Amino acid sequence: MKDRKVYVVKWVLTVLFALVIGAVLILMIHENPIDAYVALVRGAFGGNLKLGTTLSNFTPLLLTSAAFAIAAKGGAFNVGVEGEVFLGGLAAAYVGIYWTWCPKPLLIVLCFAAAILVSAAWAFIAAFLKVKWGVNEVCVTILMNSVAQYIASYCVSGPMSAGKANSQSPDTLVTLPKIMKPSTLNTGIFIAIVVFILVWFMLQKTTLGYKIRSTGTNPAHAEYAGMKPGRITIIAMMISGALGGIAGCIQVLGAYGYYLDNFATGLGSNGMLIALIARSNFAALPFVSFFVAVLKSGAMGMQQSTGVPKSIVDTLTAVFICVACMEMLFIFKKKKKSGKSEVKQGGES
Amino acid sequence: MNEYCVEMTNIVKSFGEVQAVKNGHFNLKKGEIHSLIGENGAGKSTMMKMLYGMYDFDDGTVKVNGEQLTKIVPKIAIEKGIGMVHQEFMLVNELTVLENIILGFEPRKGMRIDFEKARADIQEYIDEYNMDIQMNKKINQISVGEAQRVEIIKILCRGAEIIILDEPTAVLTPQEAQQLFRILDKLRENGKSIVFISHKLDEVMQISDRISVMRQGNYIGTVNKSETSEAELAKMMIGREVFLNIERKAATPGEVVLRVENLWTSGEKENSKIRGINLEVRAGEIVGVAGIDGNGQSELIEAITGLRKVEKGKVYLDGQDITNFQPKKVREAGLTHIPEDRNTRGLNRALSLKENIVAVQVDDKPFAKGMLVNNKEITDYTTKLAEKFDIRPRDPEMITQSLSGGNAQKIVVAREVSIGGKLLIASQPTRGVDIGAIESIRTILQEVKEEGRGVLLVSAELEELLSLSDRIVVMYEGKISGRMDASEANEENLGLLMMGGADTAKGGAA
Repeated sequence: MKDRKVYVVKWVLTVLFALVIGAVLILMIHENPIDAYVALVRGAFGGNLKLGTTLSNFTPLLLTSAAFAIAAKGGAFNVGVEGEVFLGGLAAAYVGIYWTWCPKPLLIVLCFAAAILVSAAWAFIAAFLKVKWGVNEVCVTILMNSVAQYIASYCVSGPMSAGKANSQSPDTLVTLPKIMKPSTLNTGIFIAIVVFILVWFMLQKTTLGYKIRSTGTNPAHAEYAGMKPGRITIIAMMISGALGGIAGCIQVLGAYGYYLDNFATGLGSNGMLIALIARSNFAALPFVSFFVAVLKSGAMGMQQSTGVPKSIVDTLTAVFICVACMEMLFIFKKKKKSGKSEVKQGGES
Repeated sequence: MNEYCVEMTNIVKSFGEVQAVKNGHFNLKKGEIHSLIGENGAGKSTMMKMLYGMYDFDDGTVKVNGEQLTKIVPKIAIEKGIGMVHQEFMLVNELTVLENIILGFEPRKGMRIDFEKARADIQEYIDEYNMDIQMNKKINQISVGEAQRVEIIKILCRGAEIIILDEPTAVLTPQEAQQLFRILDKLRENGKSIVFISHKLDEVMQISDRISVMRQGNYIGTVNKSETSEAELAKMMIGREVFLNIERKAATPGEVVLRVENLWTSGEKENSKIRGINLEVRAGEIVGVAGIDGNGQSELIEAITGLRKVEKGKVYLDGQDITNFQPKKVREAGLTHIPEDRNTRGLNRALSLKENIVAVQVDDKPFAKGMLVNNKEITDYTTKLAEKFDIRPRDPEMITQSLSGGNAQKIVVAREVSIGGKLLIASQPTRGVDIGAIESIRTILQEVKEEGRGVLLVSAELEELLSLSDRIVVMYEGKISGRMDASEANEENLGLLMMGGADTAKGGAA
């Protein structure tokens, strides 16, 4: 219990510290930081459209952050979530547009299935290379992000193009119902939450989850205990890919209703940052995801109603990430109090 | 003139809610070797780290050379002539021995470092103490023993008169330990005062002038070496009588459970680390594997357990060919394994006690309920084993990161022994654990044998092999240099075989 309290206090301090630095920046461009923050909060929560937009931003971030976190738990650093979102979205769009023979409720399920399959298979490539030949998955996934993005761009500019000015596909036959119109928020948020809880449950309560945590923290032990760590890492990466695919599918069927070129830009990298801030702790992921979503949607409101440009919020996000990753401050504090981690050394002999 | 160069009285130190030292007393006479002993977690290292200024002390007084110090940081400690050799060496791997020694205290010639002077100075120490050190090698190219000597020279160069060694022999082979003791004797002759932290009683009896004992953060007493015995020290450490020399029960060997035929495998750096090993273990006997660390024992065990690829030869478990089986299949065939390194192989330190207890059985009933983990069964089982094997604390949810060496090892032992099976491989089962845990682990191995399982015991402690094994094989450079019945074995003939004395080896079947 005490640990949890420390954890919460730490987070509050981190947020405050980031806000103070943001305030200093805002002061430097001769604006009132309090007004700016008020505008930011209004921009994120003031009214149906704004709150809806915030939640709509939150939906894919929850999934992409979980995607990164689950791979990290299994011992892989999956930078490729973004590519998996693109391809998952593309697969869902393909099925949703062209499988006209299929009854509609079933078609939605098939869209998700296609997204999951394609994205998991995409993630498998990097995982397999890592396990089989020790190829660094960070390099592979970064490169494969570009490949995925260009494949999708080609498709919606060429064979799957709707022929409009924008690069986009024709409308899908099925969509996820919108809620809180006129925002893009849709029932996909419930799917995302359910999937998130399922993954969390899997990680904590199933034998597979146990093996993923064991492999990620100590592969040598996992091997010794007979767990086949290579296979576990591949499975974790494929789950990670599948989550990215679901995020892509929700965006295509829910937020847009068609495949919009480059729609996933930033979703993967923001998900990764969220997971890094939360240290892949599933209990913290929803909160951090929501916080980042608030910053993103609030920034627009702030820019519109004050003289503070949106880019300040990007700076603020960056500062926030720096502070959150900067354990130094807190380690320093801990040292003064002789924290827990030193007991084990002091008590060892 | 005060005869003590260090006096620590009524020291108290807490880490959070844990009181690591409750009433610490320690004093050091000039020119003596004073051992500080106690079980893991008794507070020995904590006491000395306070003297060296790595931790603050909460209460009590510390005097160095008669001067009371209220606040110590390592810089002050070094100025007062205190040097410490830590358990983990503080050396830069990528720098040479010479560079490491002078790091931070470089002799200068103008803007440049005066390497010539440094080299000459260090050579003096090397000659004086007859140390085997090559100054031009990088730290990652030298042995652990050599790195330790580098540490000693480093603190001598900084003018240390009081030298603290924190469990220096834990990482050394017996030969290296003897070499270290010769250096320590010489240091004492030259008037240095030495604190020797250990829990190995034979070494303490060999090297010390006086011995102080701590138990659970309390000071128990100080005795002169000449007036005490290992038994008395053990009693002071544990608080009761201990019986390390477990009476060996006669073996009633049954069927062959492990047969290794002409086994070849490679090591990390060498192509054929193991070169043609033949070995048999029968049910109901303990076969000891002796040898200096690094002569292929680790690779042999890894090859048998499926963790390393067998290049040539066969491994049979209970008649079944298990050569190059995956670890899981090897385990299913009836092999259990206490690995030599509990921190990387044996345990997952990031996970809880209960998760470690069932690590190899997560897929088996009743711990798995379909795809789910059966938490209740696991917790019950863990509580039962923690009770039976006296793992402290008993909390199944406790993360194993903070457990002491002895309790951590007991988790591994409890898990592997409780699975059952036909063969138990125990690799360095008592390395780095306290004397109470040594006693119980040895008793457990004996019980496993009595239950009719075969045990293959690899140990660097000859005394352990001699007291437990029914037969002993000795490994030297990837081969077996000799085999004998335990009744014929003694420290001398085993030691000779460990050094490769193949000529005198008996070629008996084992």
